[in-house]
Amino acid sequence: MKRITGLLLLCLCLIRLPAQSIEEELPKAMNEGTLLGAGTSHVKDTYLSPFNYSGWGIRILNERMKIIGQGRGNFSRQQIINVDITSTKNPAENVNDFGAFMDYSLGYHYRLEASPAFSILTGASTHLLGGFIYNTRNGNNPLSAKVDIDLGVSLIALWKFRINKLPLTLRYQGELPFAGVFFSPEYGVSYYEMFNIGNLSDVVTFNSFHNKFALKNYLTADIPIHSSILRLGYLNSLYYSDTKNIETRIISNSFIIGWVKEFIPLGSKRIKYKNKVRSSYY
Amino acid sequence: MAYFKVYLYLLILCLLNQGCDMADEYNTSPRKNFEALWKILDENYCFFDYKGIDWNEVHDKYSPQIDESMYEYKLFQILSDMANELKDGHINLNTPFLYSSYENWYTEYPPNFSWGVLNSKYLVGAARCGDYDEIRYTRLAGNQIGYIYYGSFRESILETELDSILHSFEHCRALIIDVRDNGGGSLTNSDRLASRFLAEKTLCGYIQHKTGKGHPDFSHPYPIYLKPSHSTLWLKPVIVLTNRKCYSAANNFVSKMRELPNVRTLGGSTGGGSGFPFTSELPNGWSIRFSTSPILNVNMQHTEFGIEPDIAVTLPAEDIENGRDTLIETAINLLLAETE
Repeated sequence: MKRITGLLLLCLCLIRLPAQSIEEELPKAMNEGTLLGAGTSHVKDTYLSPFNYSGWGIRILNERMKIIGQGRGNFSRQQIINVDITSTKNPAENVNDFGAFMDYSLGYHYRLEASPAFSILTGASTHLLGGFIYNTRNGNNPLSAKVDIDLGVSLIALWKFRINKLPLTLRYQGELPFAGVFFSPEYGVSYYEMFNIGNLSDVVTFNSFHNKFALKNYLTADIPIHSSILRLGYLNSLYYSDTKNIETRIISNSFIIGWVKEFIPLGSKRIKYKNKVRSSYY
Repeated sequence: MAYFKVYLYLLILCLLNQGCDMADEYNTSPRKNFEALWKILDENYCFFDYKGIDWNEVHDKYSPQIDESMYEYKLFQILSDMANELKDGHINLNTPFLYSSYENWYTEYPPNFSWGVLNSKYLVGAARCGDYDEIRYTRLAGNQIGYIYYGSFRESILETELDSILHSFEHCRALIIDVRDNGGGSLTNSDRLASRFLAEKTLCGYIQHKTGKGHPDFSHPYPIYLKPSHSTLWLKPVIVLTNRKCYSAANNFVSKMRELPNVRTLGGSTGGGSGFPFTSELPNGWSIRFSTSPILNVNMQHTEFGIEPDIAVTLPAEDIENGRDTLIETAINLLLAETE
């Protein structure tokens, strides 16, 4: 019995090996999506005001994902660049806050394939954020700057299915920073003191869950339309920090829409294998 | 799987917790706005201990006057009166219909200044910077003394304009800088002017800021240095003319100029206002400005109540009637005598 089992396993390996070898040779496609978003924003920064400001936000987002390394292609790299502009009003609606944020995240994921249709990618990411909130009424404290560098965990769930022969790919992604450093001025320090006089002591603080919680949730659907792919979905972004008696809360909910393309950045393998590629996404 | 469940639980919790706090809502309740103003000042104002103000006592004095049915004009009056207990010209309550300002810091002092006399006698033919009368300059005493009137540090002088002004005084023996009635403005503007009158980096004071919500929660004093400009410098004698209405950035200008070797001040005591002001707001949308960072002199003393001049001179009413500015005349005589 053991011999038969061993023989069967050997046969399976022999059958799989050539296929795997071709798979490994296939060019690795870059999955790139450029999306526009719009939605609601809530901004509260007690350096500027004790109140929550509400309004709208628009964003542009570019995400790129690609299989990296050799082997079975279980590792992938993802880069996301996001620019977010917000305009919010105080509860009395007589003052505006304008916010502008740019963030970049670089993540590496390991793919766990639960079934051909469902995959989970788990990994780590590093995240850089820069931006500001500008209050139109305040005189000497009109601006609150944000600069963060974080390490975080990232989780992606991909589900492929069909509706009336139309192949769809649903993605949920969560990004959760767990440690880093950020720019955090003292409670009552002015930007005049920091940048005109030069008192920049204690403006960088270690952050983790004790003083900061940030989470981004992406829910998207990829829909092929002729030879293109439409990506639409929802992005929820939470940012909460509480340090040195200054509380910041930035919450946005955006509907996002854009186009996705898969391409091979460099190489001649595309010619060899025509339309066959190794996708990190589909 | 257990980790996934925890993550899912956290996610749902976060998504549910995205709404606004009740305290963030628009609220016109006189009581809520009274308490909000009291709390903002309690947690941020910087001169409670220096001025010996018992802020809880102030709360107890004004709280019984608050009535939920009162009109907003009456509420404004009570809130203004409470804020004015701080005796600070940087305290301003701003509403769509009225603006409160504490003015007793100068009203009980002699003005020592007459714009009419200055304009009609000393500024005839004077050049100006910008489109307003805030910055004027000329030569006095037969072109022997340069004179700059800087009426508000809200107006800025470009570096090139300062070069041009100082070059026009090339053959003058000394300079008068008149900042009387200058109620302040931007410290950047006052520093730009002051940086023309020193040859080397000079310690001119200290600054502190609040590090917490408690009344004594302050940072260690951080030194403020004035550096000489890279452009034209004036190192001959200077007299700065002051009066009680020199406030805020002008008070800071006088404090810094006093530390420079060729500079003296003449006139009356300045008005003070040495707290760097921040702005916040109430639930009904009114804004409140208040001092939050004390700027100290080189001896680490507050100048919130003003700076005495090196040479005290007053402007009598009869001199104003006779079209004579006693402060300018005294400064001219002193400078001419010293630069013989």
